[in-house]
Amino acid sequence: MTPLLFGPASRQLFGLFHPAHGDTHVDRAVLICPPFGQEAIRSHRLWRTLADRLARMGYAVLRFDYHGTGDSPGDDADGEFEGWRRDVCTAHEELHRRTGARRIVWLGARLGASLAVLAAKSGRSDPARLVLWDPIVSGRDHLQWLRERHVEALERSFCVPDPAWRRQLASDPRAFTDELLGFAISPTLLLQLRNLGADTLQLTALHETLVLAADDDASVRRWCESEAARRMPVRYSPFKHPLQWSAEPQPGDALVPVEALQRLATFVT
Amino acid sequence: MNGIREIPVAFGPAQSLFGVVATPANGERGKVACLMFNADATHRVGSGRIHVKLARQLAERGVTSLRFDLSGRGDSDAAYGAEHALTQGVQDLQAAMDQLEAMLGIHRFIVIGLRTGARPGLGLAVADARVIGLLMFDGFAFPGRRSRWDRRLRRMAAIAARPSAIAGTLQALARRPPSRAAVAASAPFGPDRPEITMALFRRSMTQLAERGVAVLLLYSGSVHVVDHDRDQLGPLAHEPGLREVDYRFMPGIDQGLISIAAQQSFMAVVGDWVLRLTSRRATARPERLARPALPVERVVLRTA
Repeated sequence: MTPLLFGPASRQLFGLFHPAHGDTHVDRAVLICPPFGQEAIRSHRLWRTLADRLARMGYAVLRFDYHGTGDSPGDDADGEFEGWRRDVCTAHEELHRRTGARRIVWLGARLGASLAVLAAKSGRSDPARLVLWDPIVSGRDHLQWLRERHVEALERSFCVPDPAWRRQLASDPRAFTDELLGFAISPTLLLQLRNLGADTLQLTALHETLVLAADDDASVRRWCESEAARRMPVRYSPFKHPLQWSAEPQPGDALVPVEALQRLATFVT
Repeated sequence: MNGIREIPVAFGPAQSLFGVVATPANGERGKVACLMFNADATHRVGSGRIHVKLARQLAERGVTSLRFDLSGRGDSDAAYGAEHALTQGVQDLQAAMDQLEAMLGIHRFIVIGLRTGARPGLGLAVADARVIGLLMFDGFAFPGRRSRWDRRLRRMAAIAARPSAIAGTLQALARRPPSRAAVAASAPFGPDRPEITMALFRRSMTQLAERGVAVLLLYSGSVHVVDHDRDQLGPLAHEPGLREVDYRFMPGIDQGLISIAAQQSFMAVVGDWVLRLTSRRATARPERLARPALPVERVVLRTA
């Protein structure tokens, strides 16, 4: 595993490159597009373990943090879709530069999956395939879900919670939108989240897309069906896992669910 | 990021540990560095990225830090040996100090241990004379019977005032209990009985006081609503070795630092304390904290 800072000097990104063991798949590599915020923290060890496994299988892997997230330069409030979309393309180029791989698979999770779709659509990069795990296809729903998790987390964290939090959540749609689970949300990002929907999240016919989501995730399913109706090469695969995206790790929680790890490794190779 | 330089580093046995050094870009990095590491299972960036934010704030003020992952967490490899988790944690922290000594010539350190990080932080401070300061946030707590009853009554009153909370409480009770092994692995104080933990804590704090190591015990609103008289130290509150330590109760922040306001309050307190320590000789007696500017905090200070 090699740590690196890459990208233009004005927007450096922190990344971890896992070179392939051996030369079985020299023409292939995997780019991991992580989720945002608490979901990125929750899944961090999973990405590390998955990257190790893929590297042992002969695939080079690049993990990275978007600008203003993780160890990358920038503040929380710098985060916005357009910059992050470009970050995905920058990471793709870095991985290609390091490996020479022509077939780079993008594995995106949650908001990272949505950003992968936006980045692929931009035409700047040419991923061989997209693997989208629990993609966010309705930013408005996701925002509401995060607001609820935020208030739940506050209630769990204080010895005696403030009942006003829940009242605010119910009565004021602007409450708990400028910060979520420890991360500041800029007005730009908030607007972009609210506008993110099936109509703005369009696949291209240039590569295959595999969507992994729970059976009961109706919105993702509908999105897949609508993209398939547009004749996009998309496939949906039910994917059940015990990872709780937004939770603080608790005793007994699975940080790296083994079955999910094995299936992800299979899906991206 | 102006004025700050961040350098990813692999260090320790077989380069198995991973972290990021944050240092002033102008090279005037001071003679004391801070160590930040995992709280619970969160990787080196910390809850809400608090370690990144704090590291950059400190670097802007001239203080170097290394935020890193202990063995088997974040991006660090699992340890090769079969050491107890606490022993391994102390060894990892020593490897981090060795790295900063070799890399930047820094020989004195302040350890910032959040939640479960308090235990290896205390172990390191006792074991290694290079440590001149130790911060423990929601780490060791031994509230007495009065304090526990007070907390219980306030929680019951809150539930009575908000019946919807009962459903949440029942849901929490209905969750499958974690395995004994999982609890032991995650327990901030390890599997020891409380009286053993308390005895170890008392002895360790006495040793640190004798060595002149500055200690800040920081407690959040997760542990209680009020603090009358160093309540989290219970029967130890006024014992030699603990009378002199800085103790701060901040009911406006939570232990997960979920809100940005909580993060800012935390960083203000920690940043000021670190700067105060780095600006004086390591061998001097620990200074007491100044009264905080933030009105949301309740501060309990006692003179030696």
